[in-house]
Amino acid sequence: MSLFLRQLAGELRKLFARKRTFIGFGAFLVFEIVVLFLLRLEKVQGTVRRVIENAGYDASVYLSGLTLGFLIVMWTVFLLEALFLALVAGDVVSKEVEDGSMRMMLCRPVSRGRILLLKGLVAALYTFALTLFVMLTALLAGFLNSGVGGLFVFAPLEGVFAFYDFWPGLLRYLAAVPLLSLSLFTITALAFCLSCFNMKPSAATVITLSILFADTILKNIPYFESLKGLFLTHKMAGWIHVFDYRIPWEMMVENYAWLLAINATLFLIGWQSFERRDFKS
Amino acid sequence: MVRLENLSKAFRGRPALTGLSLEIQRGEIFGLLGHNGAGKSTTFGLMLGHLHPDGGEAFIAGHSVQRDRARAISRVGAIFETPAFYEYMSGWHNLRFFVSLSGLVPDERLMEAVKLVRLEKRIHDPVRAYSHGMRQRLALAQALLPDPEFILLDEPTEGLDPEGIQEMREMIRHLRDERGLTVMLSSHLLSEVELLCDRVAILHQGRLIFCGSWKSGEPQWRLDLDDWAKAAPVLERVGAVSGGKNLVSLRAGGDMADVVAALVQAGVRVRAVEPVKATLEDFYMGHILP
Repeated sequence: MSLFLRQLAGELRKLFARKRTFIGFGAFLVFEIVVLFLLRLEKVQGTVRRVIENAGYDASVYLSGLTLGFLIVMWTVFLLEALFLALVAGDVVSKEVEDGSMRMMLCRPVSRGRILLLKGLVAALYTFALTLFVMLTALLAGFLNSGVGGLFVFAPLEGVFAFYDFWPGLLRYLAAVPLLSLSLFTITALAFCLSCFNMKPSAATVITLSILFADTILKNIPYFESLKGLFLTHKMAGWIHVFDYRIPWEMMVENYAWLLAINATLFLIGWQSFERRDFKS
Repeated sequence: MVRLENLSKAFRGRPALTGLSLEIQRGEIFGLLGHNGAGKSTTFGLMLGHLHPDGGEAFIAGHSVQRDRARAISRVGAIFETPAFYEYMSGWHNLRFFVSLSGLVPDERLMEAVKLVRLEKRIHDPVRAYSHGMRQRLALAQALLPDPEFILLDEPTEGLDPEGIQEMREMIRHLRDERGLTVMLSSHLLSEVELLCDRVAILHQGRLIFCGSWKSGEPQWRLDLDDWAKAAPVLERVGAVSGGKNLVSLRAGGDMADVVAALVQAGVRVRAVEPVKATLEDFYMGHILP
């Protein structure tokens, strides 16, 4: 076990010693500041305030740091975080193959499966770390801007409309971290799987994003409304239901079971491809 | 130590290696020669399990690479022509990472290897700041960890300056003589292979065309005579064999002084007698050229 942990630590060091890994963290910080700046504009605040007041709640309580944090996460995470996850996970295997360091690793008495397991774990940890970072910095930025207050959740596509006092709202916000991480791990798993095939790192990233965008586009075509439940991005949006007054556990368990099965399948496909590959100079 | 049995590999239908069989004894320095694309790197790839063979099997220390790769290469170290390290990490962290894939190795043992390759002053610098020679030395350090019995060196002197080449040569000798390692190397520098290797294998278009000691031939002499026609029966009588191009070889126990005396007695003028030192290059070209 200690050898496995040392190998995992080595993989983590490799990932976090690269500047590229931190682009996502830096980009989110900048983006959060931009969104906050826009949310400070009277016109924008007026719109949010109206929605809250029309529902019969006090905007001075619910237009808070918690609400801003939620809005930043909900609007940005799927596109922006997906991009960075696809970038990093698409690199995890294929960049090492391209650079030749994979051959150096495979000179060691370690199985290909173990190498992939280590890399898969590192990609999962990166997904969780980036999601946690995004959610916490969004919350912090929200607090700095608007202070402590209740949480107002409005996600029309998922049909979630709710108001919470500070503590219950914070609890739900924090509960969303692991669920959102699990949702986003599907993007990581897809890019990771593709990077196990014989392709350039950029190809793995581009194909992952293309699949994600195609899925989003198809899901939003009105004629496909009856098929909505089949789309990947629909299942990935399940985390928002943690903000429902009555959490639809059955639906969420089903969604996450699907996502876990898809992720496991993607890993297996990637592993099989990696096992069968020839690595030459 | 190493046994290759009928190894074959093709890429997209084009054969890269066909039916390669050879054996390397423990403690031997074995050279693998061949033109670009002859199958040298493919052989190394198959021996390390980087490539899946279409046929045949490679055995290291009695274990099949194809069936039990982890055990077969547990005591194997390898260096490639252009060792690929993580540029953004220090040499030390690179070493620690690669070695961790073989097992738990104490830092003291790592430092020993670093000192052996004389990198201790720069080991904590990022690899991107290393010269090619330093990278090769780092590659050698990682190949020597944790404790190999057999090392594979794919073009270990490629891109090194003359000083670096000499250093690498001495290091390889040291590893065999002092540590008893078995070494298999490929190189385009035939003079280096000549200085280092006990035996060589020559690959040509994916096929083995020679395997053994290239020095096994009888000693040759170059003679400058005025009349080769007159000399021919004399040479035959004294047991010397004319090899063409003014070359003569002696059978075991033969003495060139006796040959010269017989030629002079027969009225053949001998203007010069020069021992010919066989080079690996001549030997190699003799096998490669039609």
